[in-house]
Amino acid sequence: MTAAPEDDPRLSAVIRLAARRFAEVVCPPEVRTDHRTERVLREFGLMLGALPPAARKALSTALILLDQGARVYPPSRGRRFARLDDRTAEAYIRALLGRRDAAAEMVQRLKCVVTMCYYDLPDVQREIGYDPVPYIAAVSRRRLEAYGPQIRAGEAAAGLPEPGQPEAGQPEAGQPEAGQPGPGQP
Amino acid sequence: MSAPSGLTSQAEITGDLKLECGVVVVGSGAGGATVAAELAAAGVDVIVLEEGGYHPTGSFTAEAGRALRTLYRDGGGGMAIGRPSVLFAEGRCVGGSTVVNGGMSWRTPTRVLDRWAGQEGVLAISENDLDPYFARAEALLSVGLQDPETIGRDSELFKAGADAMGWNIAPNRRNQLHCAGTNSCTTGCPTGAKRSMLVTSVPRALARGARLFADCRVDRVTRSGAAVTGVTGHVVRPGGRKGPMITVRARCVIVAGGAIQTPALLLRSGLRSASGQLGRNLSLHPNATVTAFFEEDVTGWHGVHQAFQIREFAAEGLLLTAVNLTPTMLAAILPAYGRQLGALMADYNRIVTAGPLVTDTGTGRVRNVPGVGPQVFYSLADRDAARVVRGVELTAEALFAAGARRVLLPFDGAPEVHSLGELRRLLARPVPRRLIQLYSIHLMGTARMSEDPRRGVTDSFGEFHGAGGLFVTDASLFPGPIGINPMETVVALALRNARRLVERRDRLGI
Repeated sequence: MTAAPEDDPRLSAVIRLAARRFAEVVCPPEVRTDHRTERVLREFGLMLGALPPAARKALSTALILLDQGARVYPPSRGRRFARLDDRTAEAYIRALLGRRDAAAEMVQRLKCVVTMCYYDLPDVQREIGYDPVPYIAAVSRRRLEAYGPQIRAGEAAAGLPEPGQPEAGQPEAGQPEAGQPGPGQP
Repeated sequence: MSAPSGLTSQAEITGDLKLECGVVVVGSGAGGATVAAELAAAGVDVIVLEEGGYHPTGSFTAEAGRALRTLYRDGGGGMAIGRPSVLFAEGRCVGGSTVVNGGMSWRTPTRVLDRWAGQEGVLAISENDLDPYFARAEALLSVGLQDPETIGRDSELFKAGADAMGWNIAPNRRNQLHCAGTNSCTTGCPTGAKRSMLVTSVPRALARGARLFADCRVDRVTRSGAAVTGVTGHVVRPGGRKGPMITVRARCVIVAGGAIQTPALLLRSGLRSASGQLGRNLSLHPNATVTAFFEEDVTGWHGVHQAFQIREFAAEGLLLTAVNLTPTMLAAILPAYGRQLGALMADYNRIVTAGPLVTDTGTGRVRNVPGVGPQVFYSLADRDAARVVRGVELTAEALFAAGARRVLLPFDGAPEVHSLGELRRLLARPVPRRLIQLYSIHLMGTARMSEDPRRGVTDSFGEFHGAGGLFVTDASLFPGPIGINPMETVVALALRNARRLVERRDRLGI
């Protein structure tokens, strides 16, 4: 692969604290086990890094506003979101989501990203019965065993060298009649 | 694995680049890679500039988060602003969106082609005109039906529901060479069975002498008077940092960045269309997802991404499909968080996700917002909102007919639904538009073709009205939504427009 490696995520301390508390509220309770919160934060940092600067700034600002906005949420008694107990933090997020305004939309978007990060963790995926690596290996093997010659013929008929390989000098792809199968579809 | 000969990535570029060629192509997706391969095969000196990175088949894994960050623009989180806003995804890598799409390959419906010819006066666009290009596209991309052993239980249930309702359901035609059914279409096919541009037209173009520069973002199309002279851009370093400058001088510029990036590039280059349509007329086939829970084990990720389409309601502008979502993507759309989200996700292997794709009548717009970049605005028309709701209802009916015990609807705040009766009672009341959760992967129409420069941005063959040597070859060209997956239409138009370019090569000086 020649593409650039992913940058290490760097979340500021303020963002990190708010994001951690947010993850603890919107992810299932098991997020607090096996250092999952830390790993969710790393994924979250990587996702932020993939966004264009304006969107990155918008989400970061939203986290800061969410954190500081808790001070005016009466049950918080002036505390920021990161310092709220579980029950108050959850009620605060529920209240924000229930508003159905721009703030709710931003919290919803943050929730999407953070829960995506949680369910991208391989151990979390295995817990819900999703373990694609062995499955992909098995069906890929089955494909080659069942259709190897047809696959090679199909690729050759289309005149397509594999990436990184020199072209074998095959002719241009034929032009089958409309409705006829393409190469590799015997 | 080393990069193919002719492909250069950012790490290999250490200083400013000045290049010359006959044709520079912006983008390496369905339109760009196809036209590049055709022109290179005809002996034209072609350079392709792709903003995304080169990720070969061997690098693809089932890690959805990593795929979103590396293969998609903006982590797959594009947002068309409106009430409701619409999430959309665009590919950004060598091969473009074909690397991450579902691989559905359908010819443009005849009624759509007839409309384009009738309303916009588009030439050489009849079914007969396009037949040879569709046939060639299908040959190049190995379009065919799925091998039966790769059809997953989620698709079987979806079909069973349609059959029980007596609805017309069609097996998908896909660009695949004996697809293994890994259900990895949206994270990059790990076997290369999905015949994306990455494994078809890109290597064809390179083998015939085209040069491809990955990680290179085009900032502007350059001009001298009314004629284009090439493009300028820059290398994209890790983390999106700006690298050395790139200048390409070319006789012709072909823009194929998709329906968002193409108009954005043309607009920031100072190009204007007398029609006023550049960046307007955006259609996006709004999609919504119904999540159904079954008693039985479904394990929907064992099998192809999408095997069937319910065509019963095509005349109403509705296509219903079942698509398996990875846990990463499903978690993002479920209307729950915390413990409740955990409870829903615990049933992951009993879930079928399906929903409508709507042929929209409303349109949106792409604008360049200073300090932000391309921004998409889209207003869901009342008629389209009603069709989304109807499509959701029909999808839920099919899923209940297949044995679903409960379904979640894509409406904010909607309760879980346990029966058809509950569904009908709930939907007897109007669903406010702003509560509908929508997403899109089909973006079209922002540089529409028309022979009349007062109505369209380009002519019938993608040449920009009023700018010599400038062409568009992607779904921006569509005068309107096509109601099915757009990739094969893009490829067929690219083949047709490439042929036209080759026929005129002496006049164009390429």
